[in-house]
Amino acid sequence: MTSADPLAMDLAGLAAAIERAEGDLALAEEPARFAAALEAGAPPESGAPGPATASEAAAP
Amino acid sequence: MTGRTLSALAGEIRAGRLSPVEATRACLDRIARLDGRLRAFITVDAENALAAARALEADARAGRWRGPLHGVPLAFKDLCHIPGLPSSCGTKTPQYFFAEHECTAVRRLVAAGAVTLGKLNMTELAMGPFGDNAHHGDVQNPWRPGHCSGGSSSGSGAAVAAGLALGALGTDTGGSIRLPAGCCGIAGLKPTYGRVSRAGVMPLSWSMDHVGPMAPTVGDAALLLGVIAGADPQDATSSPRAVPDYAGALSEPIVGLRVGVPENYYFRGLHPEMEAGVRRAVAVLEGLGARVSEIRVPDPQLITDVANIISRAESAAIHSRLLRERPQDLQPAVRARLELGVRIPAHDYLQALRLRARLAREFIREVFAEVDALAAPVIREPAPALADVKAGTTEDVTARMKEFSRLTRPWNGLGLPALSVPCGLSAAGLPLAFQIVGRPFDEATVLKLGHAYEQAAGWWRQGPALG
Repeated sequence: MTSADPLAMDLAGLAAAIERAEGDLALAEEPARFAAALEAGAPPESGAPGPATASEAAAP
Repeated sequence: MTGRTLSALAGEIRAGRLSPVEATRACLDRIARLDGRLRAFITVDAENALAAARALEADARAGRWRGPLHGVPLAFKDLCHIPGLPSSCGTKTPQYFFAEHECTAVRRLVAAGAVTLGKLNMTELAMGPFGDNAHHGDVQNPWRPGHCSGGSSSGSGAAVAAGLALGALGTDTGGSIRLPAGCCGIAGLKPTYGRVSRAGVMPLSWSMDHVGPMAPTVGDAALLLGVIAGADPQDATSSPRAVPDYAGALSEPIVGLRVGVPENYYFRGLHPEMEAGVRRAVAVLEGLGARVSEIRVPDPQLITDVANIISRAESAAIHSRLLRERPQDLQPAVRARLELGVRIPAHDYLQALRLRARLAREFIREVFAEVDALAAPVIREPAPALADVKAGTTEDVTARMKEFSRLTRPWNGLGLPALSVPCGLSAAGLPLAFQIVGRPFDEATVLKLGHAYEQAAGWWRQGPALG
């Protein structure tokens, strides 16, 4: 890997972005909180469960 | 068939003015006439499509209606697993791609009455925003041959724009539904992460992949979303949330809805015609009663970097066997992007996943306290020439790829619903487009705004002159 290697430069750029931002991550932060953030930010539910087909309903 | 919307065609079949066989034959004839130059399809399944159409016609005569898509011809990106049809995923090595399950989204569409015309061309491994493909042919923009169709759902964009199919499925990991929709002048929706099952679809990045509809109009996209959305036991990331009546909600007024226009990042370096088109579209929304304001959004570059780290690392893991055993069969830019992923340290990948959670939470809390939706450009310029985007070294091409998806990738990182809507034509006759972004699982508002704009502006009535 040399400094002229474009892949290495890309990689270094992405790593630097992480390094700048990770400093104040809470200890309890974890990937699963992403899905929780989406659910928490959603409007109140309306509608039906969804059009599952017969074979989906039979799935384990 | 040309110029018909999916919803209108479904209505004509329902009213008995058009039969499923007539609709299917019209699409197959158009494919035979035009696809030699457009290269939108990888597999055309004429025999099975006509057999399915005949069965649907018999059902219709007997008064048995399968669903809202009864007899409507659709086509699917070549990474959707459909029993009996090969899946190349845009590569020359289909033997590397198999799925444990049939594609749930396709199965739901077929159960609702759709006819499967075949499988659509795409960028190799869904890794590229331009629509070029060295193995299956570069998909041509129906509005102007020699120009990008957008990718990676390139065949989906071109087939729908050219009237070869009434609708299509695409997938979107960094913009792959919205870029071809924007380049080809159709509607394309990346739903909220978890809204549509990804089961039976070749993964590129399990954290960033989204399946969504591409269709002539926003109303058509709403109809398709209503069929494919909802929980799926085969996809652990699919949300159990109820599915609203998206098509039914389109006619609700948009008066008073707060629409934010980002003042940072999104308008930087835009082609003047694109900027003018997007700002005109926003003015139309304001004229319809939306409350438009400028808003500063949390740094999109950070979530873009985070999304890049996650998707590169995951795609390298998913396709490690192909990269190890047949690297010579991959296009240079695709191979380079996979090789980058192999070299991402576990620490960076995990920190990116943790950062994503925080960034999404903060964005949703801050931005949607002020507005109900955002309106922003989706592509920075009208579809560029294929020769221009493919020119130069592999590094030149990958740099252009990154830039071309700069406006779409942040929304994959945040998992928010984002809809590409056509908003005019450039002086050269190429489509302009903007995207509407909403709260998580609030596709109804996004679609409502897009539909209101579309009906007022009327761009959907125009199509490419293909003869």
